[in-house]
Amino acid sequence: MKTRRDFLKSTVIGAGALSLTPYFHAFGAASADSGLPKRFVFIRKSNGERPNEVALPSLSASDKALEDKKQPLELDLRDKELPLYLRALDKHKDNLCILQGLSCMMSENGHYSYSSVMGAYKSNRNSLSGIKRATIDFELAKLFPSPFGHVELSLTGDYAKYRSGIVSGYSASGPHQRNYCYADPQTAYNELFRAVTNPGAVDSDNAMLSFLENEESFKARILQGYEKQKLSSHITSIEGIRARNLKLSIMAGSIAKHIPTIGKIHADGGPNASSMEKQDAMTDILIAALITGLTNVVTYTIDELSTPVRGLPGNENDRISIHAIGHNESYSGVPADKIRENIRMTHVQQIARIVDRLKAVPEGKGTMFDNTMIMYFPEGGETHHGWGYEAPFVILAGNNCKLNLAGRYIRLPYHASEGHKTIGNWYTTLLNAHGNPIKHYGDFDLEMSRKKLDQAGAIKQFLG
Amino acid sequence: MLFRTSFIFLACLFAAGHAVGAASPAEPFRVGERVLPLLEKYCFDCHDADKQKGEVRLDSLQGIALDARLDLLNRVQEQVYFGEMPPKKKEQPTEAERSLLNEWLGKELRAHNASKLEDKLRMPEYGNVVDHDKLFSGKYKDLPGFTPDRRWLISEFIFDAKFNKLLDYTGQRDIDRKRYQVIGDNGRNGVKVNLTNPFLLPTHSGVRYYDTATLDGGHLLTMITNAKEASEYLITLAKRKNYMPAVAAILGQEWEHEKIVAARESYLIANIEQMLRDLYQEKHESLLPVFVPSKPPPPAPTVGPDGKPLKKPIFDTAKPSNDELSEIWAAVRRNSKEGEGQDALIVKCERDWFHFGVNERTIQTRVAFMHGYIEDLHKKMPKAPESKSKPPADSELAVLRTALLKHRKAGDTYSAVIAKCLAEWSGQFRQEREKKSTTDEAFGKLVEELFTKIIERVPTSQEKAEYFALTKSYVTKIGNENAIDRLIQTLILRTDFVYRQEFGEGTADALGRKMLSPRDASYALAYALTDSSPDKELAAAASSGKLNTREDYRREVERMLKVRSQYYLIDEAVDRVGHDSFTNIPIRKIRFFREFFGYPRMLSIFKDNKRFGGNYVNTSGQFVSEADMLVEFILKQDQNVFERLLSTEVFFVYHSGDNAAMTTATELIRKIYEYFKDKDWQNFDAEKLTVHISFLKENPMPGLNLEVIGKVGGRSDQVKIFQGMMTDYTQRLGKGPTVTAPFSSVFGVPSAAKTRTGKNLGGAEVAKSFNLDMTSWNYPATQPAKMANRKGMLTHPAWLIAFAGNTETDPIRRGKWVREKLLAGTIPDVPVTVDAVIPEDHHKTLRQRLDKVTQVEYCWKCHERMNPLGTTFEMYDDFGRFRTEESLEHPDNLVKKMPDKGAPQADLRDIYKTLPVNATGRLEGTGDPALDGDVKDAIDLAGRLAKSTKVRQSIIRHAFRYFMGRNEVLSDSKTLIDADQAYVQSGGSFDAVIVSLLTSDSFIYRKPANN
Repeated sequence: MKTRRDFLKSTVIGAGALSLTPYFHAFGAASADSGLPKRFVFIRKSNGERPNEVALPSLSASDKALEDKKQPLELDLRDKELPLYLRALDKHKDNLCILQGLSCMMSENGHYSYSSVMGAYKSNRNSLSGIKRATIDFELAKLFPSPFGHVELSLTGDYAKYRSGIVSGYSASGPHQRNYCYADPQTAYNELFRAVTNPGAVDSDNAMLSFLENEESFKARILQGYEKQKLSSHITSIEGIRARNLKLSIMAGSIAKHIPTIGKIHADGGPNASSMEKQDAMTDILIAALITGLTNVVTYTIDELSTPVRGLPGNENDRISIHAIGHNESYSGVPADKIRENIRMTHVQQIARIVDRLKAVPEGKGTMFDNTMIMYFPEGGETHHGWGYEAPFVILAGNNCKLNLAGRYIRLPYHASEGHKTIGNWYTTLLNAHGNPIKHYGDFDLEMSRKKLDQAGAIKQFLG
Repeated sequence: MLFRTSFIFLACLFAAGHAVGAASPAEPFRVGERVLPLLEKYCFDCHDADKQKGEVRLDSLQGIALDARLDLLNRVQEQVYFGEMPPKKKEQPTEAERSLLNEWLGKELRAHNASKLEDKLRMPEYGNVVDHDKLFSGKYKDLPGFTPDRRWLISEFIFDAKFNKLLDYTGQRDIDRKRYQVIGDNGRNGVKVNLTNPFLLPTHSGVRYYDTATLDGGHLLTMITNAKEASEYLITLAKRKNYMPAVAAILGQEWEHEKIVAARESYLIANIEQMLRDLYQEKHESLLPVFVPSKPPPPAPTVGPDGKPLKKPIFDTAKPSNDELSEIWAAVRRNSKEGEGQDALIVKCERDWFHFGVNERTIQTRVAFMHGYIEDLHKKMPKAPESKSKPPADSELAVLRTALLKHRKAGDTYSAVIAKCLAEWSGQFRQEREKKSTTDEAFGKLVEELFTKIIERVPTSQEKAEYFALTKSYVTKIGNENAIDRLIQTLILRTDFVYRQEFGEGTADALGRKMLSPRDASYALAYALTDSSPDKELAAAASSGKLNTREDYRREVERMLKVRSQYYLIDEAVDRVGHDSFTNIPIRKIRFFREFFGYPRMLSIFKDNKRFGGNYVNTSGQFVSEADMLVEFILKQDQNVFERLLSTEVFFVYHSGDNAAMTTATELIRKIYEYFKDKDWQNFDAEKLTVHISFLKENPMPGLNLEVIGKVGGRSDQVKIFQGMMTDYTQRLGKGPTVTAPFSSVFGVPSAAKTRTGKNLGGAEVAKSFNLDMTSWNYPATQPAKMANRKGMLTHPAWLIAFAGNTETDPIRRGKWVREKLLAGTIPDVPVTVDAVIPEDHHKTLRQRLDKVTQVEYCWKCHERMNPLGTTFEMYDDFGRFRTEESLEHPDNLVKKMPDKGAPQADLRDIYKTLPVNATGRLEGTGDPALDGDVKDAIDLAGRLAKSTKVRQSIIRHAFRYFMGRNEVLSDSKTLIDADQAYVQSGGSFDAVIVSLLTSDSFIYRKPANN
């Protein structure tokens, strides 16, 4: 028979069960060296990320020549000027890595990638059966369990309005399993901090589980062998959830100290909130979820082509379609590339806030940020209609990061050339570095295969 | 413990319970007195203290710790059971001795609930372990067949059907221009419920849905959220229509109050300004908040900093939203005044919105939009006047007026006043409801209604009492609506919502078997053929005593098999990418062959457009769709089904399945081509093209819009489209074919044919995998049609791709499939010591490299069961193209680089050096000397397999597993023989097989699981 501990180990964690997924930090594996979990924040953006916009603006002539030809390049960031939109990270250059040259052709590109960019597969236009495997965030969440396991947030819309409530997400907890996500700050707040904000609902959850446990236990008493097992593992699961609910309730006091205040403008899905207000509130919630230990992995779709951007500095009164600026349409006389840059600036300001806040929270011999990695990347490659030849990643890594990349600008060999790396290699690197010895995560790049180029495994230079 | 294996039965034949040694966890371990001599005779030579071969020692079992002993006994049990030990070269135990050993090992392990073999033998991959010849020999046909009483976890398909039914959702499709309800649509459009399906089936080919799955923590966590989502929606549904009367009886008054409040709110929003003016007369304006108009924005620059013109978004892209647009138009209507400027109009609109209390940012967005698009706003404004809602009764108006007078304060916006009124009314209604309490009778009805709706049966009196008490306790703590919500969740989380129940009922026969209870039988039959609960007729049969005999079962199965009025979605993944995927034969019938052959798996194999030489990504769904059509075509004829599936030479290739429609489409192209071919169409301008407009009206050319000839340029230039199409037609029909496929090679122009659901028929490049030159293909509009170098499903590109890698063929997996699925054979698992990789060598064919690594003795003992079968398929490449030469795809072997982009008919594959293909092989294992032997290639192989009795019986075995949800054992021998005979005697009817299986003892009789 499965024990409660087995249940906790084998449980599929995910936002699919977020509302009742209770606290099980005590059962969580901690990293071997410090006993502290590692944290990962994946921030997905839409509309591509043009490699030339990520490139450093003041390169030497020889470096610029390499950059322009997309030849391998590695530079110390600390004495370099950052692109304008990354300036909010100036004081975090020691922890910053701009990683260029990864490709993502095995994921879906063009307008949308859905779950594929984090799973390194084609999602067949987001069909359920196209979801081939658990996405990288869920794989990492398995390595660093937490009460919520994995939290997914998004700020997306239908071009006219923001979505709100709990809606389909972009991550996958396993093959054919689409995750849910919190689509507005108020919903995320209500669901994540329910142990504090609505203890009555938690009590009623427990009453229901208790009834079900008694009922199924009664049925199981007369069964034997395999048939008994069919009910007993379910009963054990109920016990496990009740136990974790209890622990979450016990934790309510410490959670309460860190939960943010969400403005009234976010009530009822926040139809009047500007994009920046939504981002600020979502960031507050994301930070609190990490600080309280409710999760160690957050995936945050900060925008998508359908996100109606409102209140953007320089275009305060426009409702901007990200799709339209992908097609170079301007608003109020502001050119599309400037609007794209302004949008990226708002994103990076949020990243800087996360870093600042986590650096202010002591943990072990340092701060929480020491054990945190933040990745900001495009969902669909290099442009609005991306091909996936390039998928630039902006990475913030704390001092205890197991990867050797902070403080550098790195351009890897270009797609389908010797030594080229894909997002599959990158995700394999993340997994190998944190305890999952998988040989290769994700589908292979077919042009690399056609050219018989080696492409399996981690990016060894980062593991050094 | 559930004994479902043949060895248990064999053990019983030779049982001498006490003699093999006591096996109780409480007693000290000892080797039975009859077993020890066998170990000494057959095992200790190699596994004693001296030799310990393979680091295994069996002469000291008593002395080792329990965990280690159980681990060792498990290893021994597998070796003995599968006949792997003693080694073939050593003296072998007799059948009786081996059985004795097996029995002893089984008892020891079962005593500690630790037998891994017994768990394994339940699994699909061990289905062939029971000896095929024994099953069909007739020697065991007198053993009584039965299935143990069981709970069987629902499948991913039943999950969707269950929730669709519960949530009152039915998918719909237009099929052959008629609207039909379609089962199997998990999109749930319009149903705002996020459900995650936790009951996914494994993805291997063969039978996927077995009774072995157990509800675990992952299921539970996901179902908790599903239950929450579904319960919220169900209450909404109950509110919207009379879906759950008992729920409505309890919450009806609350909903009525909500409706009244909503109606008042709606009326106030539309009329508050006028009402306040009427109520306050000249004082009204002075009570309004002070409005300061915003400054008009400066004109937006039209060029960027680089001096280039800026592209302004079109009206539809820039508009705030459709709802917002309606608000803007309403304000424009209210405030437009003849002769007044646009700026003044905008200010008046802004003032309206300000007084109403619209969010400041929203006002600014509206104003900015009006400034940017005022002309478009006027042009596009709907002409029809807004419909005004009917004024409420005088008494209601009085209530509204009273509230307005009570709540309006100086400086209030209209929305602030409305909010105060609403709060007052809601509070009053709440107090009114709190004075009345819901009766116990109402809660009793609620329990019965919800139980029946969700669990699909009436609760027992005990269940009624328990759920009544639970409901009352919920009500006390969280109120009526939340209690109902919670009750729904509780019911959805019961195990019998997700476990199918299959239990015997009534008096046991002399063999201890009982027939399925009528209710369970109705579900078992319904789920055998569909994913849905019993239909009306079946449910009525169960409840009226007409599902109690074998003949009753036969009647219902035969009836259900004939139903053609219900359509099913076959595969959401195919449907979603724009290809048809539906059927009107019972879905589980076609799904058996999809899963048996495993060709849908090709969709998950990531393959390269460049290596395909065209657009593979947009074509892959069509391969599966057409493979499904072929299976359906053969099943509908229902004659020699297995043989035809294995040896048909006709296929669907770029076809909708509607011969008449495809003929019409191809004739249209031919007619247009014939009409224009001798005219100077290459030099037509708009005027010259217009001369032929009457012909083109009668014979519309795909993509050509006659209304705008000469009026638009660029990509929409109709003359260019016409000339592009004619060039395409000329290229294809000018080369000799009399009929060309109705695809289009002109960008943006749809094909001339539609699918049966009215989509543009895409995926024409499937023809490439059939080696058809799309420029000279004499297209057969009537299909399925004969295709060269093909024979049966195993030569269909969909199957060949499914059993291939990303860039190469996969002879091993193809051979394994044939051995296991058609020849009832077994292949041991790959030993952990083997690194199963085919070495790279770009001077050799795949087969040469494979032979080199697998023909060493250690590997060949397993590979000889696969390779000689799988290598015959080397006559096809990994896209299913017939070939006589294998392309050595390596940069060093590149002969010619081809373009990366081109028309659908272009072959964009790079050209490499080649070596001749060797597709010879050998067939062993049919048991028929006329069929076994060397084979020339896959076509030769397919022809022989189709003639084999063993192949036929192997398919019957898989059908048994599919419909029973478990592996067969010797006591199912009669069931299998009967099904096989039913097939033979009916001329190869698969329906006859289904009827035989679903009326067999194995299906209708049950025994307690511990018996």
